[in-house]
Amino acid sequence: MNSGKKKWSAALLATAVLAVTAACGSGSDGGSADGKVVLRFSYWGSDARQKMTEEAIKKFEEKNPTIDVEGEFSDFASYYESLSTKVAASDAPDVITLEIRALREYATRGTLADLSSKVNTADVDAKVLATGAIDGKQYAIPTGVNAFSLIVNPALVESSGQKLPDDTSWTWDDYVKLAAGVTSGSGGKVTGTQLSWNPAYLEIFAAQKGEPFYQGNQLGVSPQTITEWWGIMQNLIKDKGAPEAAKSSEIGATSVDQSLLGTNSGAMGMWWSNQLGAVVKASGQNLELLRMPKLAGAATGGMFMQPAMFYSASSKTEHAAEAAKFIDFMINDPEAGAIVLSDRGLPASSKVLAAVRDKLPEADQKTLAFLDEAKGELKDPPAAPPKGASAMEEMLTRYSEEVMFGRMEPADAAQKFIAEANAAIAG
Amino acid sequence: MTALARGGHRATLRSRREARAAYLFLAPWFAGLLVITVGPILASLYLSFTDYSLLEEAKWVGWDNYVRMFTQDTRFLQSLQVTTVYVVVSVPLQLAFALLLALVLDRGLRGLSFYRSIFYLPSLLGGSVAIAILWRKVFGADGLVNAVLAVFGIEGTGWVGHPDYALGTLILLHVWTFGAPMIIFLAGLRQIPSSYYEAASVDGAGWLRQFRSITLPLLTPIIFFNLVLELIKSFQSFTQAFIVSNGQGGPADSTLFYTLYLYLQGFKRFDMGYAAAMAWVLLLIIAGLTGVNFLASKYWVFYGDTK
Repeated sequence: MNSGKKKWSAALLATAVLAVTAACGSGSDGGSADGKVVLRFSYWGSDARQKMTEEAIKKFEEKNPTIDVEGEFSDFASYYESLSTKVAASDAPDVITLEIRALREYATRGTLADLSSKVNTADVDAKVLATGAIDGKQYAIPTGVNAFSLIVNPALVESSGQKLPDDTSWTWDDYVKLAAGVTSGSGGKVTGTQLSWNPAYLEIFAAQKGEPFYQGNQLGVSPQTITEWWGIMQNLIKDKGAPEAAKSSEIGATSVDQSLLGTNSGAMGMWWSNQLGAVVKASGQNLELLRMPKLAGAATGGMFMQPAMFYSASSKTEHAAEAAKFIDFMINDPEAGAIVLSDRGLPASSKVLAAVRDKLPEADQKTLAFLDEAKGELKDPPAAPPKGASAMEEMLTRYSEEVMFGRMEPADAAQKFIAEANAAIAG
Repeated sequence: MTALARGGHRATLRSRREARAAYLFLAPWFAGLLVITVGPILASLYLSFTDYSLLEEAKWVGWDNYVRMFTQDTRFLQSLQVTTVYVVVSVPLQLAFALLLALVLDRGLRGLSFYRSIFYLPSLLGGSVAIAILWRKVFGADGLVNAVLAVFGIEGTGWVGHPDYALGTLILLHVWTFGAPMIIFLAGLRQIPSSYYEAASVDGAGWLRQFRSITLPLLTPIIFFNLVLELIKSFQSFTQAFIVSNGQGGPADSTLFYTLYLYLQGFKRFDMGYAAAMAWVLLLIIAGLTGVNFLASKYWVFYGDTK
């Protein structure tokens, strides 16, 4: 019997230990012991961004001693997985960072709170602000703006015996010729450019043909336009202005630091303007922004400004007022702006931009000058794309690669791409 | 008779008491099994019949997900095809390689344990993210493989970036992780009594004959074990394709593993109901294959003690 008792007590002990560890596992929910309000703020990015953001959070907590902001940070690749899982578990962060492609996904599914009149947006450009509104509700506040553009390494162009183009008038043919010239002029050491399958690139090209990318819940781009667009890339590969298809798809899967521009093995590339700083850092050379080439005779250059990111608040938050206060601080407070600078795009608030203008690093000064100069030509920022748009880049890349490898006829691939895209964004 | 019955009674009473204690000890684990394994499995079965975006409540849609999978979704069929090719090519290759090295090592080389550790190393590393990244570099357009080929005057392509070769690099990665089955084969080889070989060589049987008539038949249970294990494992491969293709299954869907597509549907397309349905189809495929495997084993697996 003695041994039996021992067994019982051991089993009870084991169960008790399990219960205790389980209890330890459940975290706090919103209020910390010292009566402060705990605000959870989720965002993605590099280590540099995390340091910067933590600094801004500290500043906010100094000004608001009753609020304790907890940053929840991950890299972009896994950001939406963890965010959607948290939302599904009714454990959404109070303040959520989003980008434009996922905005409608979250907003129309009741995840986000309407921030109209809760955050001061008087200094944000009305057209830029409108990109964060859906059905008249301001679900998200833009952090800053950027434009998809062409980045060039002038030294590499010139050392290959080529001349920088006049970007106010150059055409796609000029672009292909220049890229091929760089490759041949450098004896193959430097490649002209690298391919991009960013939907923003197709959007610009389509605009030059007078077609919108989205028309309601459908693609507005015609198969003919997509085929012509692929033609540019086919010519680049044919004339060796860009690496052959296999190498192109390999480079395409890497980040901007590993790009041809970033490793000084290519002279051009297409990126968002706020990535200029990152490419400059990776290459260590002087890089410039250029306008995208145009179709001969096009009425518009097709380039557009777009919010780099948005701040939004969870519709389920118990601390709506504090969440709005934090977003307001991040958007409107020059002290926050002085820390974050152009990390989340050039500040959306004109006041903040004016205050930090001179503190911006050289690359961002350039971006600012470039956007100012091209401002008159830029299209209005597009509305938030339909639900399912976050899959667009993956889809476009897949069909583009089929075409580049000659496994699909361009006209056929364009039809299939449009059909699949329409199915994904239909509702 | 009565004494026997009483003895038996006492024995059952004791064993019952022990069983109770055992269940009590098992209780925490059992609770974990229910909450962490069985619960989610049942939940996923339910979700597979719903339209569930993660952000909204799940909506019951009946068999829609399953029907869509087999009638409308060409990418699903592509992922099935990619995975099947991967399994059918890489598993036999890997096992053959493992058996070959086990045979070599079994011949009593000097420093055997050293070689054994060296050959086992890839198995420990092969599933890791670091090796997958390394693989991408080695088979890249400017990678080691092409540098070696260039020495022989051959101009290689970007192996991981080409739809015709990308899957091949992943198969190679899988074959390279032959260490685990190799160790099991080695253990199996040690079980074969050396007297058989001695008798055979007295009868004048050569190495090949000995291998065919002694080693292989006596090793079939081990081969069977390894086959079942590796089939199940490779159907569920994920990390390698995820890293090498940067999470997309590209180029042009050539490395779109089943589990990778499942993940893309669930977490990138907000279609968790569909992903759950895919998980159940995969379960059925693996269960079916394993069943066939066990049935077929009657005809080729030789258990020494039953004959």
